[in-house]
Amino acid sequence: MIKVLPAAERHETDMGWLQSRPVYSFGGYQDPSRSGFGAMRVCNDDRLAPGKGFGAHPHSDMEIVSIVLEGEIRHEDSLGNNVTTSFGEVQVMSAGSGVIHTEFNASSETELRLLQLWFMPDVRGKAPDYKAGAFSVEGLRNTLLPVVSSKAGDGTLPIGQDMTIFLSRLDAGGELVHQSAADRKQFLYVIEGSLNASGTALGADDVAEIQRQEALVLSAVSETFFMLIDMP
Amino acid sequence: MKETLLVKHAVSGRTFFDTRLKAIPYQVEPSNEGWLFSIETKRDENVEALLEFREELNVFIFREPEDEPVLKTWYYIKDGPVVYDDQAGKLLISAQSSIPYYPHEYSQ
Repeated sequence: MIKVLPAAERHETDMGWLQSRPVYSFGGYQDPSRSGFGAMRVCNDDRLAPGKGFGAHPHSDMEIVSIVLEGEIRHEDSLGNNVTTSFGEVQVMSAGSGVIHTEFNASSETELRLLQLWFMPDVRGKAPDYKAGAFSVEGLRNTLLPVVSSKAGDGTLPIGQDMTIFLSRLDAGGELVHQSAADRKQFLYVIEGSLNASGTALGADDVAEIQRQEALVLSAVSETFFMLIDMP
Repeated sequence: MKETLLVKHAVSGRTFFDTRLKAIPYQVEPSNEGWLFSIETKRDENVEALLEFREELNVFIFREPEDEPVLKTWYYIKDGPVVYDDQAGKLLISAQSSIPYYPHEYSQ
């Protein structure tokens, strides 16, 4: 079953310094029918003005993934990390029993665009952790490249949930197949371009929630940059 | 010294209690290896909503000494318990650990 959440129907928040397009209820946007999907609680497509960001605030018992699409983000936390990441890099913060952090657009000139993803952890109360890592931008081409996974290895960042986040840039006419157990869920986010997901058309910024699909066939209509998440 | 109790939902940011906006009697005292918050309040819609999100609460105490920066302390609730004591007319929140922090010490 594939349920499409069209980009045109997404909520938009404009706070001047922050433009956000949350897929699920977040902050001032509350829709009881949209409180998450599987282990995912939050998926925000955020644009931050130069130099702006989120001041010191806590998190706990949440696996928080930040994927920079444009610009640079500076992260600082109570664990002693102070890290700037840009496109081609990913951050995973396992908040566990608690962490204080800030996130700011590291540039004073250019906008920052990032995907902020929150997932329920498989175990609550673990020691907090933060990791950042790079993936090969060229390595995205015509493959499902795992960038975050509980099956960490080969450059993927670990996460405290039984899941994998893939990124891919698929050439027009290209096709990929994702195999998964029928009881798993997949979340598909088209960042750029357009594709068909087992016959369902999706354009830029469209989201699909996928269930009971053991073989998901992804066919690019135009060159397409997308994120696929396989999770419980 | 000015002190504020703030209780919010961690995901939505919904504020359940903010004593800057509405003063309510409350106490924070050491309990077991953590702290017990006792908040005198009616069991109303606000409390019911808080109880629904009992595993996703952010509880803070802000302390603002005169002419000094605010010290924020965030409390980790984990499994609580978070319960309403009908006899006492109090919301009871048990916290396991805390992190004190000065916001200005983080980069902006």
